[in-house]
Amino acid sequence: MIQLHNVSLAYQQDASALNNIDLKIAKGEFVFLTGPSGAGKTTLLRLLYGALTPNRGQVLIDGKNITRMTQSQIPILRRSVGVVFQDFKLLHNRTVFENVAITLEVLGWGRTDIGKKTMHILKQMGIESKYNLLTQRLSGGEQQRVALARALVNDPKILLADEPTGNLDDANKNQILNIFKEANIRGTTVVVATHDRRLIDQSHKRLVTLSKGEIVEQVEKEIPDDEQAI
Amino acid sequence: MNKWKKKSPTTNKPYKRPTLTGDGFGGRAGFFLARALTNIRQNVFVNVVTIGTITLALLIVSLFMLIFVNLENAAENWSERVQVTVYFDEDLTEQTQVAFRDKISALSGVSRVNYVTREEAMRRFKNRLKGQETLLEGVRPEILPASFEIALKRTHRDTASVENFVNTLKKMPGITEVQYGEEWVRRFNAFLNFIRLLGALLGGFLIIAVIFIVSNTIKLTIYSRRDELEVMSLVGATRFFIKAPFLLEGLIQGAAGSFLSVLMLFALYEGFLHNAGSFLTFNPASSGLSFLPLEYIGGLLLAGALLGFIGSLTSLKRFINV
Repeated sequence: MIQLHNVSLAYQQDASALNNIDLKIAKGEFVFLTGPSGAGKTTLLRLLYGALTPNRGQVLIDGKNITRMTQSQIPILRRSVGVVFQDFKLLHNRTVFENVAITLEVLGWGRTDIGKKTMHILKQMGIESKYNLLTQRLSGGEQQRVALARALVNDPKILLADEPTGNLDDANKNQILNIFKEANIRGTTVVVATHDRRLIDQSHKRLVTLSKGEIVEQVEKEIPDDEQAI
Repeated sequence: MNKWKKKSPTTNKPYKRPTLTGDGFGGRAGFFLARALTNIRQNVFVNVVTIGTITLALLIVSLFMLIFVNLENAAENWSERVQVTVYFDEDLTEQTQVAFRDKISALSGVSRVNYVTREEAMRRFKNRLKGQETLLEGVRPEILPASFEIALKRTHRDTASVENFVNTLKKMPGITEVQYGEEWVRRFNAFLNFIRLLGALLGGFLIIAVIFIVSNTIKLTIYSRRDELEVMSLVGATRFFIKAPFLLEGLIQGAAGSFLSVLMLFALYEGFLHNAGSFLTFNPASSGLSFLPLEYIGGLLLAGALLGFIGSLTSLKRFINV
């Protein structure tokens, strides 16, 4: 699903943000990206939804080479990639419902279908009662779930999340993690960038560690028995 | 994408392709318009500021236009006095008169030809000397020449055209003298050209200032909503999809602004302008300023809408690069 070949990227000429990255993520996989701040986690994610193009190397998403995409092809790619941003990027003068519906509006869905599907995902996130509130009125955990709902509402092939549990308490963290797992079970390829050790340990998933723009360690977690049963 | 969705195992209901609003131009346009109107409702303050700016800017332009149009009208009235007179030593017979009239009328730029007999000339002369008619005692009409008074079309009243016309007349056999108030025509046209140049200069500066102010206001309002542009782009909206509601919004703002400015201009005009400025014309019947003609009002409305649209278009270009 995701393939990076010899990818290098520098924001400025001297300091390289990513260096010779080779990474393959299969369809339906769940991968954690970790590493210290400034290791290149966010940069790597940004490559995957076409916000950046590498200086060198190739990035393939679902068989399509992002580095060769034209301006008009990038939006099409993004429709199959859900992204949860570190700062959520919600529109604060709009309601929860409108924030989530925007993904479907972009796809050109009709009003009724948008209504049904949006309320459905809000219910899954447990925030359907707040659908008519402005997002600025919500708590951090709730905002996070709105951001997740917006990323997942069109059942994307790939879900990217940047520090999704940054400011959340443990209960909220677990709920968010479960939402990721459910999406993954439904077939979505999930890539989560985090330096939250506990989140990684709890979930027993593949782990890719970055440092100074290079992959320094890759751990294939064994799937414990209780999860295999699902 | 839909192919993949159908495979998802845990979806409870069989997946149906959603109906699309985007089927056909009408559906899309409806969606964009609804979006634009919602945006205006959700950003009332910003919109009020923008529309207010456009209103004031266009009010200044339209005031200028009102004054300029009235000056032009006044000049138009004055230029009626550009007249060429052809004198004959004797009264013309009916036949020669018709022949001359036909010949002169056939020349380009002639709007009206009027034959003045000796008796008519005498009557006018007497009128001029009202109160001192005794001076003319014993004077017979024969001492005055008969003449053709030729009025020229609007487009032929400038100095060069008038001189050309006079030269052609002079070449006609049988015509002895041609007069046309040479000095007056020259001065009048020089004055007219000066006014037009001044108007064009001032108008040009005004229009540039208005475009600058309006486009910067729109730029600021779009800047304040750049996160919206970013989010739209991140969820996969095409450039056109992001732009369309903003462009419509700009169009609506521009149209509303220009409409308001015309309304305000009309109120100002009704209030005190319409009986000011009688110094501009000598004709007491048409004293006072007249309001802008309809095509100018139409032009203002159109210009406002266009200003909003183009302002949005150029501002968006700067902010959509996510």
